[in-house]
Amino acid sequence: MADKRVSLDEALALVPDGATLTAGGFAHSHQPMGFFRALIAEGRSDLSLMGVAECWVAEWLAAAGMLRKAWFSNFMFEGFGRCRRFSEGIENGTIAAEDHSHFGMIMRLVAGAERLPFMPMLSQGGTDIALLGGFEQPEDKIRVIDSPFGDGQRVTVTSPLVPDVAVIHAARADRLGNVQLGGASAVIEEQAAAARTVIVTVEKIVETDEIRRTPEATLLSALTVDAVVHLPFGAWPTGVYGYHDPDMDFLSNYYAASRDAGACSDWVDRHLRAPADHWAWLDAAGMARLLALRTDPVLGYRPAEVPA
Amino acid sequence: MSRDALMAMAAAREIRDGDVAFIGTGLPMVAAYLAKATHAPEVTLVFESGIIDPAPLELATGVGEYRLAFGATSIRGTRAALTLLQQGKVDIGFLGTAEIDAYGNLNTTAIGEYHHPDVRLPGSGGANDIASMARRSVVIARTGRRRFVETLHYLTTPGHLTGPGARKDAGLPGDGPVRVITDMGVLGFSPETQRMRAERLFPGVTLEALQEGIGFALDPPEEVTTIAPPDAGTLALLRRIDPAGTYVALED
Repeated sequence: MADKRVSLDEALALVPDGATLTAGGFAHSHQPMGFFRALIAEGRSDLSLMGVAECWVAEWLAAAGMLRKAWFSNFMFEGFGRCRRFSEGIENGTIAAEDHSHFGMIMRLVAGAERLPFMPMLSQGGTDIALLGGFEQPEDKIRVIDSPFGDGQRVTVTSPLVPDVAVIHAARADRLGNVQLGGASAVIEEQAAAARTVIVTVEKIVETDEIRRTPEATLLSALTVDAVVHLPFGAWPTGVYGYHDPDMDFLSNYYAASRDAGACSDWVDRHLRAPADHWAWLDAAGMARLLALRTDPVLGYRPAEVPA
Repeated sequence: MSRDALMAMAAAREIRDGDVAFIGTGLPMVAAYLAKATHAPEVTLVFESGIIDPAPLELATGVGEYRLAFGATSIRGTRAALTLLQQGKVDIGFLGTAEIDAYGNLNTTAIGEYHHPDVRLPGSGGANDIASMARRSVVIARTGRRRFVETLHYLTTPGHLTGPGARKDAGLPGDGPVRVITDMGVLGFSPETQRMRAERLFPGVTLEALQEGIGFALDPPEEVTTIAPPDAGTLALLRRIDPAGTYVALED
């Protein structure tokens, strides 16, 4: 099997203007922010997102003026509040929204992944998610039908979604693209299975023999991965389970700036567009700051500081 | 007296021993740990991030937090957690909301017209799935005529939809909401209409005062009782579960 390691620049070239993306992560965990920081610095237009919980990706793309529409189920900042630039983009009509439940969004990705015309499921029926389309016609998205097997059961069916590119950040991979990640993995398996092209950024590259020792920890097989980028702290300022906590101070700093469109635009220029590359982005944060986020290997998180 | 404490107690009471409970952050998490520490030691908690049956050492402020994952018996993906709902393995789920109507339908999507909203809210997330598929659900919502409304701006999450039979027509397997826990008391639903009615009031609250905080006419109640204030033991437990009073302040 081929060596799939590429540079970050080569991976970015896989995302053209107008691409439909999906990105890994949940709340403040394992979102591929290093990749998207670099994509924002390069600049793209008219991107779409098929997302479940990659709130920071959605927000930063919106803040950079690169997001045109979103199929999604929930974007909010746990512990902070609304994704301001994303939400205001919908309010002022610059971003078109198509709403789902989490399970509804996942089942559309599964239908895409399984190459099926629809997936049956049991939630969403009877609500405006099913009855009122965003930019899709509702009947193209969700229908409630009688089971074809004549048992009288009503069942919701939902149509497939196939993103052009999935971007996932994980703990480690080998050069072939066997990918491992600890902790709650969110939706990365379904996203990677559905997308036409799968880019994975990782904290560490390991030998395939190392992967073979714990094959049960492999969430994405090399068979589904197209490009692997060695990108330490590639989720920062979100966290990576077993590696580092989210940088809540940095996230909070963005959240404060995001309340005002002008201040947010300055923040994006200064923090996201200015760094020349991933290392300059990390240098601006500083090594002490990054190392202070490392998690306790027993607890899986960085315990609150004990007062002296 | 603390209305938060009364709400947490009322929410905890909805959990039965042995239940599988689908929990988000905030007051429901505190309530679930209160139930686990009192009458429901065998409750199993499931979170939409994919964390199942954790034993965290401190209160988490997010379902994706690594400190919530500590001691879990299973950590998988979001699909695995939500599939438990569809399988009918989840007995009870808790929901919050920006708007709620008389049938317990919820809006967490948009205020104003959906395509050009005045305020865009975060969207369903797992809420629609919990309300559709958990065997029963409980809504936590502070009173107010802008929250308890006759007509939602957008129906994100199903309560009893338009009343008897509607959930079955829509293919929803769960029974829907059984309680709405407010800062003035606990509401239920009339079996005939599936519209909301008062069941239990917090100390000092009258039925009239509760109705004043609700933007639609409550169905006539069957019997309304007053909830006793929390005892010292319960307050001590709440303090231990949520030491900083992040979700449950012990004084108003």
